[in-house]
Amino acid sequence: MYNPPRSRGGPGRGNRVLKTVAEFAIKYCQFLDASGNLAAAAPPLASDTDALLEMYRFMTLVRTFDTKAVNLQRTGKLGTYASCLGHEATHVGVAAAMQADDVLCPVYREFGSQIWRGVKMSTILTFWGGDESGSNFTAARQDFPWCVPIASQMLHGAGVAMAMKIRGEKRCSVTYIGDGGTSEGAFYEGINLAGARALPAIFVVVNNGWAISVPIEHQTATKTLAQKAIAAGIPGVQVDGNDVIAVHHVMSEALARARRGEGPTLIEALTYRLSDHTTADDASRYRDPDEVRQAWSKEPLPRLRAHLLKLKVWDDAREEALKKECAREVEAAVDEYLSAPKPTTDAMFDHLFARPPKSLLEQREQARRYAGSSGH
Amino acid sequence: MTSFNLPDLGEGLAEAEIVRWHVNVGDTVAVDQPMLAVETAKAVVEVPAPFSGVIKKLHGQPGDVIATGALLVEFEGAKGEASPANSGPHHIATRSSHGSGDAGTVVGNMPTSDIELIETAHAGGSAHGHTNGNGHAATSTAHASTRAQADGRIRAAPAARALAKHLGINLAAVHGTGRGGVVIVADVLAQSNISTHRTNDSAAPRFAGGERLKGLRRAMAQSMSLARDNVTNCTLFDDADLHRWPEGQDITTRLLRAISMACKAVPALNAWYDGDTQTRLLKSRVDVGMAVDTPDGLIVPIVRDIGARTTAELRHDIDRLKRTARDRTVAPEDLRDATFMLSNFGMIAGRYATPVVVPPMVAILGSGRLSRDVIAVENGFEAHLRMPLSLTFDHRCVTGGEAARFMAAVLGDLEKDT
Amino acid sequence: MAKVTMIEAINRAHAWEMTRDPNVVVLGEDVGVNGGVFRATAGLQEQFGKDRVQDTPLAEGMIAGMAIGMATQGLRPVAEIQFMGFIYPAMDQIANHMARLRNRTRGRLTCPVVIRMPHGGGIHAPEHHSESLEAMLAHHAGLRVVCPSSPARAYGLLLAAIRDPDPVIFLEPARLYRLVKQEVADDGQALPLDVCYRLREGTDVTIVTWGAMVTETLKAAETLENSGVSCEVLDLATLSPIDHDTILESVTRTGRLVIVHEAPRNCGIGAEIAATVAERALYDLHAPIKRVTGYDTIMPLARLEYDYIPNAARIMDAVRETLTE
Repeated sequence: MYNPPRSRGGPGRGNRVLKTVAEFAIKYCQFLDASGNLAAAAPPLASDTDALLEMYRFMTLVRTFDTKAVNLQRTGKLGTYASCLGHEATHVGVAAAMQADDVLCPVYREFGSQIWRGVKMSTILTFWGGDESGSNFTAARQDFPWCVPIASQMLHGAGVAMAMKIRGEKRCSVTYIGDGGTSEGAFYEGINLAGARALPAIFVVVNNGWAISVPIEHQTATKTLAQKAIAAGIPGVQVDGNDVIAVHHVMSEALARARRGEGPTLIEALTYRLSDHTTADDASRYRDPDEVRQAWSKEPLPRLRAHLLKLKVWDDAREEALKKECAREVEAAVDEYLSAPKPTTDAMFDHLFARPPKSLLEQREQARRYAGSSGH
Repeated sequence: MTSFNLPDLGEGLAEAEIVRWHVNVGDTVAVDQPMLAVETAKAVVEVPAPFSGVIKKLHGQPGDVIATGALLVEFEGAKGEASPANSGPHHIATRSSHGSGDAGTVVGNMPTSDIELIETAHAGGSAHGHTNGNGHAATSTAHASTRAQADGRIRAAPAARALAKHLGINLAAVHGTGRGGVVIVADVLAQSNISTHRTNDSAAPRFAGGERLKGLRRAMAQSMSLARDNVTNCTLFDDADLHRWPEGQDITTRLLRAISMACKAVPALNAWYDGDTQTRLLKSRVDVGMAVDTPDGLIVPIVRDIGARTTAELRHDIDRLKRTARDRTVAPEDLRDATFMLSNFGMIAGRYATPVVVPPMVAILGSGRLSRDVIAVENGFEAHLRMPLSLTFDHRCVTGGEAARFMAAVLGDLEKDT
Repeated sequence: MAKVTMIEAINRAHAWEMTRDPNVVVLGEDVGVNGGVFRATAGLQEQFGKDRVQDTPLAEGMIAGMAIGMATQGLRPVAEIQFMGFIYPAMDQIANHMARLRNRTRGRLTCPVVIRMPHGGGIHAPEHHSESLEAMLAHHAGLRVVCPSSPARAYGLLLAAIRDPDPVIFLEPARLYRLVKQEVADDGQALPLDVCYRLREGTDVTIVTWGAMVTETLKAAETLENSGVSCEVLDLATLSPIDHDTILESVTRTGRLVIVHEAPRNCGIGAEIAATVAERALYDLHAPIKRVTGYDTIMPLARLEYDYIPNAARIMDAVRETLTE
């Protein structure tokens, strides 16, 4: 909870000189704690076993996919890959609360959200395998592709929401950003615009504690990232990002508010980056292994499993079956990825313009002649 | 049997040290099962099995340093992979190399090697000469000067070079008159004895007070230059005896009819010729360009298809063309594509001339001033009205015989009474 | 003397200059504890402390802007942009302030800042990590743009850049970071800026290039030598301002010019070199100037990356064209 310091007057003057003109509070939401204990006042989702099983299935699938992707990189079959290990509850919880016709603007790690929304695992692999057709999603066709220039996606989400508002649609944009990203100017520009124009935009700050090697304490002086919403005049709330019920709850409220025309929300999802920043990073250079161990004890899958066990809708046999099923699905996706043909050099030229200029077509010819000549 | 080489672990590493094996020879491993732990720069990385299979051979002991790309494990009867893990369409290119040291990067595969770079590097610029790490002193730089030739290299405009090459001229033999002794196009042409008919638009008038030709005069200048360069003119002179003509003959239409007859008799003079390709096109229709003198200069409107027109039609057309020519309202279609030319300078003055053939035509007939000449007849002398004729033909594609027969046909028709 | 990679040379140049000049400070994302994502600044924070080697918050515009402020107070910031593709948020500061401060204040305030960043592709990196944007920077008056192509030149030119009283954008070819090792004396000797480096003498054709393309060009030159073609290879090194004198001197001797750069063709620095040679040495040319460049497309991802980047085959064909036209 954020308590702004009480205002003080000048030396010896006390509170008679300055009076409080605005006060803010930041609230935190958690229902399912790290051990799988459910809080008393939990939302209906907490007992909606069908919905929870679906979420657990997806979270397991994402975990399986993510592990395999890392292995593919380690065996030379995938380029650099940004693992989402530990973020499954945030990613699935956010997406599960969205409508299909909402628009997602990701960073580059939120595969759980994307897979939930229908993006194929083979498509994701295609992108990280170095082929731009991996951004040509077969589902969720209006969702933005992965965004490497940090925080620039904030403005895209705001712009999408602006279009929705102009047209009077009951749709929302959902934009992800990392803790490091909240230091970029574009972050403030995005939330400011959304606030000033009451846009149906939800901003999900995934605070996983680390921006490559820079810990959150070194990134900003604020106690929470949710309170940055205050600067934009929009509601900000903090949630346990490893509690899928809480994430879903907070997202649902934010989306409902936006659809009612009440404007944007900033959600700070607290989680931990259990993996390296990418497969080529080495987090052991800058992280305390105890801290990592601690974080593992709070990770999202076991607590949901424990809750499902309590609800008597889960057991070891089903766990095994789920793991096998996920492994099969992931294998199929990997096969599809590995057997796709390599793009021809024309792919470099064919998607720059609707009407390619003559000079470009001449270069396309040259590239065909030299295809493969580098020996790489 | 399939092999698995140490992949590039994504940090651009050249090598890794084996920390411990998790499997033994003879073990059946499943895909993704951790096979061994290797230490890269300050990190221990688990390397998983790329496919399922039975381990046949392990290459390396704990403590061994294995180079990226080097053989690590051999499998028997591997499933799920027909080809070695490091080949195939999805192999993200790695380099097999020997290197050492920390090779961190958060993205990509960085090529590394132990290749030593031996180079010499001379810093350019005379004021900044400097030795590089390999201890070579910098050279002082000779600046480019405006010299015409140096070390046998000839300074020539690119167009001059191209022209010299085309004409087979040795640039070294050409005296350059451009600035600084540069060989320019005119120099190459001078060497080749071909003068260019192309006007140099940007050159200043040669005579003070002179004015640059414009419009019709300029067009004539260009056209005549072209003619002189390309055409082999030869002129045949004769006189038509008109003493049988009744009063009031229309000289111009008689001339046109005579030309029409002669073109039927000798089609070779009603043709187009292209000297570059040595192509001749005989024209079936006779379109005669008639030189008209205007204050602005020479205009040549064309009377079309004279063989198919009556005298009255021809007269009507001639008048129209003369009028529009003088008004400068003549339409472009009336100035284009003549097949034969007539110059009736005789209306002003002059008996004989050497008129100039204008390509692509191959002939031009000039008719001079009618005069009463005293000629010898069988029993003495008579005064006959005569018309001097000058027929110039392009001797590249018209023979003397053809020209003479043409002239004979012209005379034959002109000398009739009507 | 030691054999070092380019990354190590850059690291040593930092250490040397930070020891010699207490005003030099390093700032950027992940440069301190992590030593930089390519380890260019490894060990510097341990050696010089957290005030002089700062892990900044994640904001490129902030990095460039704060460097300006610090420089006017007498510090010499050496700022890192993590990849050239991320320079865009910093462009407002670089173009509107860094490049102009001396001019606008008539010398009262100056900006001795170095901004260094990995340059170019060829390491199978994700999107936006493989950019070559030197032409955009060179087009700004008031900026120097420098690009070493060897460990020795990285060491010497970085020292020169840090010591220069004006802003320098220092582009480090990522593909060359660890490609080779070279004997480099860690003696604090700077190399001159604003000059080309002749890496190979030749008589038939002048090839001007820079960055990672130097390696490909030298490979091509070696092969061409075997078929009797003598290539002179110039490393441009300082991409702006260009040392035209050295290029002109070479072209007037050889009569032929090929320019090689990874950056896209349209309005690339090759065009500037070609235009100047056409202006000042047209009559010495025996053949049209050739440029071998990246295509006018977005730098493709890993699968097609090496079909984009100019290679020895393309360079050799361009040279041969100058000899047969």
